[in-house]
Amino acid sequence: MYKYLLCWRYLRTRYIALASIISVLLGVATMIVVNSVMAGFAEKMRARLHGVLADVIVESFSLDGFQDSDVVMARIQQAAGDEIEAMAPTMELYGLMSIITPSQTINRQVQIIGIKTEERSKTGDFAEFVLDENGKRIKPTFEVSESFRSRSPAGELLQSMDPDDEFFEAMKKRTEEEVPRHGAIVGYALATHHQPGAERDIFLAPMGSKVVITFPSAGRTITARQGAFAVTGFFQSGMSEYDSMHVYVPIEYLQQLRGLEDGKGGGAVNQIQIKAKAGVDINTLSEKVRKAIDPMRPMFFVVRTWEQKQGPLLAAVAIEQSILNILLFFIIAVAGFGILAIFFMIVVEKTRDIGILKALGASTVGIRGIFLGYGLSLGLVGAGVGMAIGLLFVHYINDVEQWLSSLTGHKVFDDSIYYFKEIPTLVEPFTVAWIVGGALLIAVAASVWPAQRAARLHPVQALRND
Amino acid sequence: MKAHLATNGLEKSYRKGKNRVPVLQGVDLEVERGEFVAVVGASGSGKSTMLHVLGLLDAPDAGEVLLNGQRIDSLPDRKRDAHRNGTFGFVFQFYHLLPELTAIENVLMPLMIRHGVLSYLSKRGRFRAEAIELLERVGLGHRLQHTPNELSGGEIQRAAIARSLIGGPSLLLLDEPTGNLDATTGQGVLELLCDLNRERGLTMMMVTHDPQIAARADRIVRLADGRIEEWAPALA
Repeated sequence: MYKYLLCWRYLRTRYIALASIISVLLGVATMIVVNSVMAGFAEKMRARLHGVLADVIVESFSLDGFQDSDVVMARIQQAAGDEIEAMAPTMELYGLMSIITPSQTINRQVQIIGIKTEERSKTGDFAEFVLDENGKRIKPTFEVSESFRSRSPAGELLQSMDPDDEFFEAMKKRTEEEVPRHGAIVGYALATHHQPGAERDIFLAPMGSKVVITFPSAGRTITARQGAFAVTGFFQSGMSEYDSMHVYVPIEYLQQLRGLEDGKGGGAVNQIQIKAKAGVDINTLSEKVRKAIDPMRPMFFVVRTWEQKQGPLLAAVAIEQSILNILLFFIIAVAGFGILAIFFMIVVEKTRDIGILKALGASTVGIRGIFLGYGLSLGLVGAGVGMAIGLLFVHYINDVEQWLSSLTGHKVFDDSIYYFKEIPTLVEPFTVAWIVGGALLIAVAASVWPAQRAARLHPVQALRND
Repeated sequence: MKAHLATNGLEKSYRKGKNRVPVLQGVDLEVERGEFVAVVGASGSGKSTMLHVLGLLDAPDAGEVLLNGQRIDSLPDRKRDAHRNGTFGFVFQFYHLLPELTAIENVLMPLMIRHGVLSYLSKRGRFRAEAIELLERVGLGHRLQHTPNELSGGEIQRAAIARSLIGGPSLLLLDEPTGNLDATTGQGVLELLCDLNRERGLTMMMVTHDPQIAARADRIVRLADGRIEEWAPALA
């Protein structure tokens, strides 16, 4: 009984010891904030990565792909149909995109993805990432609106011309050259130039403008093929890697340009995106799909989940987080040494009291218990208050950011870098428990030595300490 | 009838640097039940050491301590702890109350040490009543919730006496209980001790270097050269 009473009294009367746990408190709060923000970022990033990719991706090693995508899809359907929500065959390859402006031609390296917009929208969040010039979400389409043509220089001229004019037909042809028939959805960062500090990004390739895409032909001897497209939308997923690389084009036209059409309205594809039904384990699904199609053509297909495909990026985030955690845990360890030092002082100060307690019959174990309990209660206070502060900070992090921004006069969290409107956070109860548990452990560990010293004090020597 | 507390050839020496300084060199002493014995002797003659060895706060190098004829100094730690808690009551010269606790909590300390949380809490009312009764008996009924730094020296020593009694000891070991008090206050404390000795039949052993105070005891022994000599009260 006396242990608890004394712990409680020491806790309430020794303010110096409370000072020592401020570092524990700050360590715990910092770790909770950092972990929550990083988990929030990782979660957002995963969501975006996953939004662009389907759950399971079947690819062929060959860039030219395979003609019988319907047979492959039928096989997949047969093997795991009840676990699959949707499938979309696509053609993915690398190329160059030339943005032709009146003054210059801008070439950019791109990843060309031939899709059907409705199919692609079903296997991922593609439809949510397509915007118009004003940043408004639009229905993804490759259809080139007539209004683009009438707004082009030739188109404007055409409107004022008499249809009987001898140049009318030539001018009409000119508009079609200026605004090609096929549309393309271009990555936002590809189509724009972001000037630091500028209110709006400058559009290099606005809606309706012409872009020329160059890519390799099919077959063994590769030649360059070209296609002209009109911009019909911008793709903004929030992952700069995608937004600065991806160009979506109609798959049929791509097949045709590469010489991969089958003449029956279809053609070769080199990827099948598969979306799993809710609750399906995508790793088992991926394995099932692999087993189903591998016998068709051994060593031809690669079947991966989106996580496997993005493995290095996800792993990098995980490594960053764990290194940060190790570093931050040192803060709490330093706090542990603070507790150790202050506890030693308290034990010296309490030497006589320890002598009295022993004279009154307190056991060695009991005396040790007082100081271990004291350490634990200090840890509990530190970790508890730290947890509360950390969680509150996470909860109001965007208000704090706004306040700091208004205080310092410049934006602390620049949303143009991440495309996040606010700082994303995710509190994982397990992580919080782990941090609080670790802090408690350190507090107790730091009090073991002083407690042991107190317990070993000889009562007579302790009483003589006058 | 066996002596309440007895020693047999107690020896104790201290190490001071490289030298061993003998303090007790064969102390033989018998104290009868209910007897009030005063131990006198020069400073550094080992009076306190003897009291500590008797009260199991320190272990003798040789010899034995007997309680009702049973040897107690060689008992395992747990039993020695229990004897300190229940058999002996200590009162020290320098009061020694715990500064964080109130007077009543200090008095209750031996019971808190003896009982675990549940057992203590279940008997809390009775214990508090006992503590209040004892504090009233020593004249501190109005000071229950005061902390030691709000009490005077005499009051603290009275509280320490109440604390030494709460566990129901049969033996009180007093190490210069009036040594740090002025004459009047010291006299009051001494009167209280004598009354308790009579009322409760407590065996008391008091170390002092003041012959006037020693004179209140039933018997005076002198510790000199590490040995006990009987001292007739008349000589004091």
